Amino acid sequence: MHNVPVGDSKQRIFDVIAGLLDGKSIAVSDQTPLIGDGSVLDSMKLVELCLALEDMASELGFAFDWTSETAMSRSRSMFRTAGALASEFIAQRGRPE
Amino acid sequence: MIVVTGASRGLGKAICERLQARDIEVFGVARDVSALSFPSMACDVSQPAQVKAVAQLLKTGGKAVSGLVNAAGIASMNLALTTPPEASKRIVETNLLGTIYCCQSIAPLIIRNKGGSIVNFSTIAVALGLKGESVYAASKAGVEGFSRAFAREMADFDIIVNCIAPGPIDTELLKGVSAAQIQQIVSRQILTRQFTPDAVCDLVELLFDPRSRSLSGQVLHVGGA
Repeated sequence: MHNVPVGDSKQRIFDVIAGLLDGKSIAVSDQTPLIGDGSVLDSMKLVELCLALEDMASELGFAFDWTSETAMSRSRSMFRTAGALASEFIAQRGRPE
Repeated sequence: MIVVTGASRGLGKAICERLQARDIEVFGVARDVSALSFPSMACDVSQPAQVKAVAQLLKTGGKAVSGLVNAAGIASMNLALTTPPEASKRIVETNLLGTIYCCQSIAPLIIRNKGGSIVNFSTIAVALGLKGESVYAASKAGVEGFSRAFAREMADFDIIVNCIAPGPIDTELLKGVSAAQIQQIVSRQILTRQFTPDAVCDLVELLFDPRSRSLSGQVLHVGGA
C-alpha cells in the first residue's frame, strides 16, 4: 500500500468526506469547507473523518496526526477545506517518522 | 480493557487492583512500570509524544478500549506566593495537560469501541478553596472545566466523562501533610471523616457500571463538598 499514488489518496479522502454527508448532494472539492461557516460536517462527523484518515494512514504505513499545530488556526487549519486536509495528509505521508 | 494512568502507586494502583479483582482487563501507565505485573507501558503523561505512543501501542495491539482513568497526578501544599515557577509549571503540566493529552489520545480508541467511560481526577480542594493548595487546586479546576466541556464533545459517541474529587485520602500523595492539617480539611467536608482508597475505587466502579450511563460532566466529591 506504500506505493499508492498521491492523487489516489486525495480522491479517497474526498470519497470519505462524501460518505459522511448523509446523502446530501454536495460535490466535494478542494474548496469544500470542513470547519466554520458553510462547513459540510458537524463535530461528530469531523471526528469520524479523523478516525477514517487514521485508518487510511495505517494502511499506507504511517501515523496521521490530526492534532498537529496546523490544526489550530482558522486560516491555516488543515480542516479549513477538503483540499487543505488532503494536502496535510499527503504531506504527513511523505514526512519521516 | 481500561487504561489507568498513575498505575504504579496511590489511587491509580488501588484502582488497578480493584478493577482486576472484578476481572476487568487493565492497562497501566506510569513513569515507572517495573513493579507492575500486568500489561503496561512507561509514560510521563505530561509528554504528549509518550502519550501518543501508548495509544499507538494499544491500537496496534487491537484491544478494545472501553475506558480511561486519569489518576496520574502530583500534589503540592504550598502558598502560591512561595511556589517556584518551575513547580507551578510541573503541577499544571502533569495534572491538567497530562489529563488532556491522555483524553485526546485514548478517547479515539474508546470511540472505536462504540462507547465507554472516562474518569478524571480533581480534588475537594477546588470546591473548598483550601488555603495552601492554590496552584494544585488551579490545575484540578482546569481538569473539572475540561471534563465538563469534553463530556459534551464525547456525548455524541456514547462516552461519559466525569470527575472524582477526593478529599485527603490516605495515600503517598499525602506524605508530609500532618494529621492536624488532614483533620482540618476533613472537618470542612460534609461527611467529616477521612476516607480510604476503597471509597474512590467504589466510585470508579460505579462510573464503569452501565447503571451510571445517565451521568456525564459531573464532579463526584468524596466526603461531600
